[in-house]
Amino acid sequence: MPPSMEDQFLDGADSDEISRSFTCCVCLDLLYKPIVLACGHISCFWCVHYSMDGAHESHCPICRNPYSHFPTICQMLHFMLLKMYPVAYKRREKQTLEREEETRCFSPRFDAYGGGSHTYKKLKIEADPADPSITVFEFKLCPDSSSNRVKKHFADLMQRQPVSLPQDFVIPISKQTSGGNPQGATLADEENVVLKNNLDQTCEQLSIADVQCTACKQLLFRPVVLNCGHVYCETCFNIPVDERFRCKVCQVLHPSGFPKVCLELDNFLEEQFPEEYALRREAVQLKAVHLHDAPSTWSKNSGIQGFKWSSVPKEEYSTWLRDNGPKIHPCAGCDSCGMYPIVGDRYRCKDCKEKIGFDLCGDCYNTNSKLPGRFNQQHTPEHKFELVNWKLKQEMMRLMVEQLGDGFAAPYFSGISLEQPGDPTAAFVSLDDAEETAENAAAIVLDDDAEETAENDVNGLAASDAAPEL
Amino acid sequence: MTTVNNSYQDNNNNPAVAATKQPLPPAKSVDTQSVLKRLQSELMALMMSGDGGISAFPEEDNIFCWKGTINGSKDTVFEGTEYKLSLSFPTDYPFKPPKVKFETGCFHPNVDVYGNICLDILQDKWSSAYDVRTILLSIQSLLGEPNISSPLNTQAAALWSNQEEYRKMVMKLYKAV
Repeated sequence: MPPSMEDQFLDGADSDEISRSFTCCVCLDLLYKPIVLACGHISCFWCVHYSMDGAHESHCPICRNPYSHFPTICQMLHFMLLKMYPVAYKRREKQTLEREEETRCFSPRFDAYGGGSHTYKKLKIEADPADPSITVFEFKLCPDSSSNRVKKHFADLMQRQPVSLPQDFVIPISKQTSGGNPQGATLADEENVVLKNNLDQTCEQLSIADVQCTACKQLLFRPVVLNCGHVYCETCFNIPVDERFRCKVCQVLHPSGFPKVCLELDNFLEEQFPEEYALRREAVQLKAVHLHDAPSTWSKNSGIQGFKWSSVPKEEYSTWLRDNGPKIHPCAGCDSCGMYPIVGDRYRCKDCKEKIGFDLCGDCYNTNSKLPGRFNQQHTPEHKFELVNWKLKQEMMRLMVEQLGDGFAAPYFSGISLEQPGDPTAAFVSLDDAEETAENAAAIVLDDDAEETAENDVNGLAASDAAPEL
Repeated sequence: MTTVNNSYQDNNNNPAVAATKQPLPPAKSVDTQSVLKRLQSELMALMMSGDGGISAFPEEDNIFCWKGTINGSKDTVFEGTEYKLSLSFPTDYPFKPPKVKFETGCFHPNVDVYGNICLDILQDKWSSAYDVRTILLSIQSLLGEPNISSPLNTQAAALWSNQEEYRKMVMKLYKAV
């Protein structure tokens, strides 16, 4: 389908005004549903997810800081960017939604920002009957319904988030698309006019209420973002006795020591609110003098102790192929704490119908975690779980296919998706071939591993065996 | 959660899909649109940056294949040379590295006779924040600082200690092209 006029208009109109601070290092576009890693670097939800390693600990794309848990979206940043770049952010939302429709996996959605105060609501599981993830199979069969549905969904979303958008932006789209109006051209024209009007308006001014510390409710000073997505001043945390940080709002344990200051956000706040920021700095320094504890100790802590802590020891990722190694579930993550891949027991929800699935690690299963999924799963506490039967060979297969997707399995798999999209027979034949090859490769790796007792990197071995031409 | 781009699961392993008993839409494991967008942004940035000594541009009809050039840095044995490279981007770029090869023959310990390059950031140390510019700059600095311990071209690795002879060899082979 050629891009509509609306797309063309949306594409280039806003890109030059986005600050470099809020450009994602992976997609090089405005951050959308931002995630802040423990090292303080920001990236989009999907960019982080796709950048993570399915079988090992992952590394920050910018600084290579290792981490083992998929962090939750930082809602404060999400609503801040929505307020600062309403047009560009909506464009990103639309693009992302289209992509999500294709992969049939959806990122979490948020309720509207609760006005001026800092009380945005908790991540909510949508019980919307028109939710794309549920109806997607029926809709996929009707030609050309998806674009209309995206528009409708887009319009719905905006009605739910009326903060930064004038009402007239929404109405013409929702009225016409919900009726299935085929007059696409006139529709696009009208939208363009409305969008242009919208562009002319200056975006709402950011206030300190939008960038408060979760704990002290003042302007953030040297902000740190926990794995649960909540933002604190670096100095609003005391080092706990057991050296693990628990979020004061959601009570979720932060898995990897003390996070580093998110410098992009810090610099931005200092520029945006120079006077208030200076006051906060003075107050913190004064407090530090009283406690005989300079703020610099904090940076030290986060730099040395906190930085490399991880709840999953690094060795576990390289020893899991041995009989006594831990169970690792490649390409499967815990929807509660975010551990990815899951190390140890894995419980899979039997009732969640979404393609992405709903999984818990042993710890989260045993503590009866009630957190919603990391995506938009319709998981409820009534759902039943099953313990995933862990077989080394099976997990190896999954790993092979995932890790060597381009070098080794490409002749088989890319063939399915690109060259023969409509031919299921070809797909099955190719899959069988791939399976055989993968098993052979797995056997080689296992033999090697038995001979050399040193801690070999599974990946490196597999890659060198399977793809010598690299 | 499970990995999204998993073709194997798409076709074989997914209980949710199996349960619907409906014809599957063609497995579309990649999103070409976002790759295109990213490559376009990179091209823009590369053209604006004006880095000396490197350049790159897509081939006429295919934005997934680029041709790049690297000039040998000053004060190295490669000074005054210009090498052509080809970059071929996978459909899941930037989550997987592009395949980069020398098109011009390059006498270097970490480059083989076919132009394949042994560089960690193009393999297991790849990061999705790398781009064409950083790749070319990395290769440019690799020219002057080879990794002698794991050579693809053993002859070049052996000769590296004698920079004068090495320079002669580089120039001899370079002119021959």
